Amino acid sequence: MLEIKDLHVTAGDKEILKGINLTVNDGEIHAIMGPNGNGKSTLLQTIMGHPSYTVTKGEILYNGEDVLKMSVDERSRKGIFLAMQYPKEIAGVTNSDFLRAAINSRLEKNISLFKFIKEIDKNIAKLKMKEDLAHRFVNDGFSGGEKKRNEILQMMMLHPSLGMLDEIDSGLDVDAIKLVSDAILDLKNESNLGLMIVSHYERFFTMIQPTHSHVIVDGKIVVEGDSELVYKIDTDGYDWLYNELKIQPVKESRPLVYSLGTCARNTRG
Amino acid sequence: MLIDITNDSPVKISESSTVFIHNSNVNIEYAFSADSRVLIYCDTDEKLVLNETGYVNGCHVEINYLHLDHADLKQNTNIDILSNGLLTINSTYLGVGDKDIVFDIFNREYNSELDITNNVVALDDAKLTLDCIGTIVKGAKSSKCHQKNRCLTMGNPKSAKVLPVLNIDENDVEASHSLSSGTIDDEVLFYMNSRGLNSAQALNLIIKSYLMPDDEFYEGFEEGKNIQISANRKVDDLCSM
Repeated sequence: MLEIKDLHVTAGDKEILKGINLTVNDGEIHAIMGPNGNGKSTLLQTIMGHPSYTVTKGEILYNGEDVLKMSVDERSRKGIFLAMQYPKEIAGVTNSDFLRAAINSRLEKNISLFKFIKEIDKNIAKLKMKEDLAHRFVNDGFSGGEKKRNEILQMMMLHPSLGMLDEIDSGLDVDAIKLVSDAILDLKNESNLGLMIVSHYERFFTMIQPTHSHVIVDGKIVVEGDSELVYKIDTDGYDWLYNELKIQPVKESRPLVYSLGTCARNTRG
Repeated sequence: MLIDITNDSPVKISESSTVFIHNSNVNIEYAFSADSRVLIYCDTDEKLVLNETGYVNGCHVEINYLHLDHADLKQNTNIDILSNGLLTINSTYLGVGDKDIVFDIFNREYNSELDITNNVVALDDAKLTLDCIGTIVKGAKSSKCHQKNRCLTMGNPKSAKVLPVLNIDENDVEASHSLSSGTIDDEVLFYMNSRGLNSAQALNLIIKSYLMPDDEFYEGFEEGKNIQISANRKVDDLCSM
């Protein structure tokens, strides 16, 4: 069970999360929604321990243990998994070597090569990924959809007890969303996995069927409910919330793009 | 052939060999006229001074270096490639000591070819200098000289300098050099940590996957399996420091 109490988080000088309270029990599926730039990804990254974020107040407990005292790798070995919005590429390291090392890091005795190959082949087939995936470098040269499926493959191989999925459905086509959601539900049914899912799309939530839903605006959970709330937001957007609660979302800030002007032109014609 | 170097006497190599270096002062003379593969495996805790000279004549020679020790190293490798000779060099240097390495390779004659790849990892307190100099002399027409250098730093090395140099004194040649240098990206490290690997395990995996030879490489050498075990153990030790 994950318990988040009065969590305040800053990135640099800016406070992003302003008092989050949330409990996720085993087997529950929590939809985390809200406009862009209001703290959804920050919440998941903070639970995982991303060094860019500083917890200034509050606590995160996982099965009664203080998560904030744990290193990132300890959190992972305790069963917390983050499927990232932008998975990193690791050139030179194959998926097979990476996953075996990750699995072995949480076992007293290394997994046998036979068992590993059997497991990874089964999951690659389930996700309808290319057969040579195990021998390709981690996310290197992968399409956006392949990267997202690879995150789910890693989750299936590592058997976490809490899965956090950060916009895992973006970049996936309709068929792939169905495959991925089926795989996630199978994993949940097999292991009573708790899930926190950030997504903007009702289609994904229709397949996953969240048991709880939360909307984060300006670093706070402003409304909570069940799957009905997901459908209402998909139909009506967030404006009714802003009007009803008299709140304003944080506008997503993007880095400025400067025009190179004439420097960018090909002067040679 | 298995060669165990335990004293200062010069060693001549002209065929495929696995060379264990246990001495602190080593002089090797190469004289190749037939295709050969050589593995130089440094296994000494003392400062090593390694001087190499020689030639490759009308054949394909591959020389591989593995230096994975804490000990200091001063290496000077000076080899001439004669007509129709192809020299491939693959080197991996990993460690924390002072390492001063110079490859000074000459394309001396017609249709000679050099293909060199250097992988260096500088860990805490390392002071590493690698000069990789390829020279195509006048008259060595249709020659090729290609260099690839990769430098990974981790922790707080004193310095890590890699200098690829090409001296070309002939037309009708092909030459290139590249250098990539840097540390493990913080986001990559976070990604690897988030899958349960601590920083030492992540570094270990990157070094073994990206910079070290693969399993097949060792199979071609006498004692290759034992060298692989020893090399992997040394990487484990260095990464866990």
